[in-house]
Amino acid sequence: MTKPAATLVLTRCEVCRTRFVPTDAPCPKCGSTRTHPYPVPDAGRAVAVTELSSPAPGWAAPHRLALVEVADGVRLLAVVEGALPAVGDAVTVRLDGDVYRVLHRHKGPEGRGEGDFPKTRAHGSSFEPPR
Amino acid sequence: MTVHVASVGVGRFGKRREGLIELAAEAAGLALEGIGRKPVDLLVVGTMLGHGPQGPEPFLPRLASQLSLEAASGLRAESTSGTGAMAFHVAVDALETGRFDRALVVAAEKMTDRTTPEITGELAASLHPSEAAHGATMPALASLVTQRYLERHDLPVSAIDLPSVHARAMATRNPNAMFQSAVTAAEVAASRPVATPLRLLHCSAIADGAAAVVLERGGGPATVLGLGQGLESMRIVDRADLTTFAATRIAAQRAYEAARITRKEVGVLEVHDAFSPFSLIHLEDLGICGPGEASRWFERGWVGPAGRLPVNPSGGLIGRGHPIAATGLTGIAEIAAQLMGEAGARAVSPRPKIGLAHAVSGLAAHNFVTILGSPTA
Repeated sequence: MTKPAATLVLTRCEVCRTRFVPTDAPCPKCGSTRTHPYPVPDAGRAVAVTELSSPAPGWAAPHRLALVEVADGVRLLAVVEGALPAVGDAVTVRLDGDVYRVLHRHKGPEGRGEGDFPKTRAHGSSFEPPR
Repeated sequence: MTVHVASVGVGRFGKRREGLIELAAEAAGLALEGIGRKPVDLLVVGTMLGHGPQGPEPFLPRLASQLSLEAASGLRAESTSGTGAMAFHVAVDALETGRFDRALVVAAEKMTDRTTPEITGELAASLHPSEAAHGATMPALASLVTQRYLERHDLPVSAIDLPSVHARAMATRNPNAMFQSAVTAAEVAASRPVATPLRLLHCSAIADGAAAVVLERGGGPATVLGLGQGLESMRIVDRADLTTFAATRIAAQRAYEAARITRKEVGVLEVHDAFSPFSLIHLEDLGICGPGEASRWFERGWVGPAGRLPVNPSGGLIGRGHPIAATGLTGIAEIAAQLMGEAGARAVSPRPKIGLAHAVSGLAAHNFVTILGSPTA
């Protein structure tokens, strides 16, 4: 039995068709509130990455962040777990409360193995893909 | 109605013993001396953090009281690091109604009385909450912008070193600058990593400081020729292109149109170099050069005090230090001083007839362009 593909949820504006990272604000392009969630795969690509020596209060140094492009060209900011990916590298994304987290995928775009998130995580909320 | 800068006052930036009110009063006093202490009927102030010894200061009444300006009216502006420029714009708009004759604009920040983590936390208010929630800081988002910029234009990381070298060289001519020593490109490249690829010497520093300007009705060498502002999404993930700041381009277009000039007529420029790569982006967004071309201006020395277009003769944020709210007004004060022939050792040559000051709020979410010059230029 194959594992179902994990998904992320993005938002689509029904008026101007802009797709964006979910927010409690209206469409960032046209201001419409007619927006709908829709699922996309949890695979992305790092477009910029950084390692911070002094993160915001409450985060331990070194803190790693990535700007990640997921489906439909939508970009999100994510906390990097583990090693910092290089720009262009494939990553797996999950939402943990209000925080996106990414893990460097060591295998090719189809491969899912050592780069996957562990099933349970020490800091709590596990990622449950919507059915 | 024509409005002009009659006088400017800037105190020393860096770690100061004085508190917010004393720093602001010092700069205000210098500006008021410059007009022979003629009466002002409008006080416009700006501070972001408003740090007093016990907590937030009621900045406007405290400063008005300190300056014995009880007969004036008062307004306060706030847009994070664009606050000083915003206060200036508010004062110009108020004078143009004809209800006021002379305005004192003062912007100040007290920062060194807090620890760096405390300040970092407070400055996170300049970021969108969803991005701050990821542990992002201003340098973190700036580093992401920097990478996109360098990649888009196929530039080496070393391209961001020269703007810091330039800023620190200019600051050695400014007795009010926090940093009084020059640095080499090698020293910039070897400084401590802050948010890769940004290093310590690519970043502006926490500082105390204040600036003041007196605005009057009428014309002069530093007449307000054009103002413009622009707003852009605070969430950087909603921006289609991170290699340019739309809010600067909008602000510049509006200011150039209002001033009825083109960028070719600008003879001196102050840009908001909170991070050295932003100097490159700002030059391009202000139309001084094309996308990806700004690093050449630094390599060839075209931004020097006698160059094709002198940029940040005051040392900019990287040379002066960055007392958040004071910064935007300090850039305007520098342009005015250059136009009025009061820049001393920092004077650019030949003396410019038109100058432009640029300021940024947050990660370029609310940007300001101010064009000053001789109305007959």
